[in-house]
Amino acid sequence: MNTIDIKINERSLKVLPGITILQACRDNGIDILTMCHLKGLSDVGACRLCLVEIEGINKLLSACTTRVASNMVIRTDTEKIKRYQRITTELFFAERNHVCSVCVANGNCELQELGYKVGMDHIRYPFLFPECKVDTSHQYFVMDHNRCIMCTRCVRACSEVEGAFNWDVKNRGFQVRVISDFDTPWGESITCTSCGKCLQACPTGALWSKDVVQGQLEKHPEMITELVEKRKLLLT
Amino acid sequence: MNNELPATDPRVKLLAAKIKKENFKPDALIEILHSAQNSYGYLPMNVLAYIAKALHLPPSRIYSTVTFYHFFSLKSKGEHTCLVCTGTACYVKGAQAILNELEKKTGLKAGQVSADNKLGVQVARCIGACGLAPVVVLDDEVQAKVTTDEIINKIIDKIGTK
Ligand code: SF4
Ligand code: FES
Ligand code: FES
Repeated sequence: MNTIDIKINERSLKVLPGITILQACRDNGIDILTMCHLKGLSDVGACRLCLVEIEGINKLLSACTTRVASNMVIRTDTEKIKRYQRITTELFFAERNHVCSVCVANGNCELQELGYKVGMDHIRYPFLFPECKVDTSHQYFVMDHNRCIMCTRCVRACSEVEGAFNWDVKNRGFQVRVISDFDTPWGESITCTSCGKCLQACPTGALWSKDVVQGQLEKHPEMITELVEKRKLLLT
Repeated sequence: MNNELPATDPRVKLLAAKIKKENFKPDALIEILHSAQNSYGYLPMNVLAYIAKALHLPPSRIYSTVTFYHFFSLKSKGEHTCLVCTGTACYVKGAQAILNELEKKTGLKAGQVSADNKLGVQVARCIGACGLAPVVVLDDEVQAKVTTDEIINKIIDKIGTK
């Protein structure tokens, strides 16, 4: 198979053309932080954590939405990138109300893990403390907007894998919120199939099942990846 | 929410015709929303539900589109609307004073609609008629080089009292 030559962090690599920089990194054991990416779902470049530097391009680009090109020289580990990742992470925490100690996802949260990974010891930005709803209207599940970071993984899992399109996003800027149907209570949804895929896709304690106790939440986002993989069997 | 739209309502006929003209294409959502808002003045929930059904589009997708564009409104802007331009040219010609006076007289702040839904007051940043500044738009009719009294009188003509 045809391959192209690229360089990541000084390492010369042969990769398949057309793959994303993120995939090239993951295939070669190069660590890269991500949040909105979930293998199997489309990539939207929403979280800005996977930023990389590319020689000859003076702005940072998201690895999950940028494809490799031959002779690309990529860096994933510069001070500048680390600084931005730290800022992005702090902004996640400052935007809504992430109180880990009272969250169902405590100890099992991608956002919490991210905080540790970038060495976040304090937050330099004022907290917005928005008033966020907790939607408990669904028979089995809860949507807590306080914990949502707008990665839209649930939206994509619901539309791309389940095909239900219960979730989408309303408004713009810091007013954005994940919505069910016409911004109506989840329990009244006419599209939700109660499949629970969004719960598995969600990296935080925003979506969870009513039968879990605080701090006992377990998430399996890789289930979504598996589903997409196995679905390919139908096409062969 | 009452989902049924009365088939005899001319606005429903217009909407149905528009959807048909666009061949029930989901891509035409924005055009269809445009025409619905033109005839209703805003986008009532049962109209959105009607469109969702006709185009086989998820409600969430429609709601997302409507709330993304500032042009679309989910709330009635009032039977009569009075929009004061506060763009630079109009501002220089005293738009702020007109707006203040208007707010005082009507008891409505910009963006609000009176309790009886008769009048809504809005502001815009330059409507592109700077030569006519200060400009007020009353029910889609541009009023050029206005004074507060003129506007108040015209409003009284339209809605009767106040
Ligand atoms: S609810 Fe969870 S998966 Fe959905 S956008 Fe918020 S953080 Fe992401
Ligand atoms: S993982 Fe690339 S922008 Fe979120
Ligand atoms: S500033 Fe009012 S029309 Fe331009």
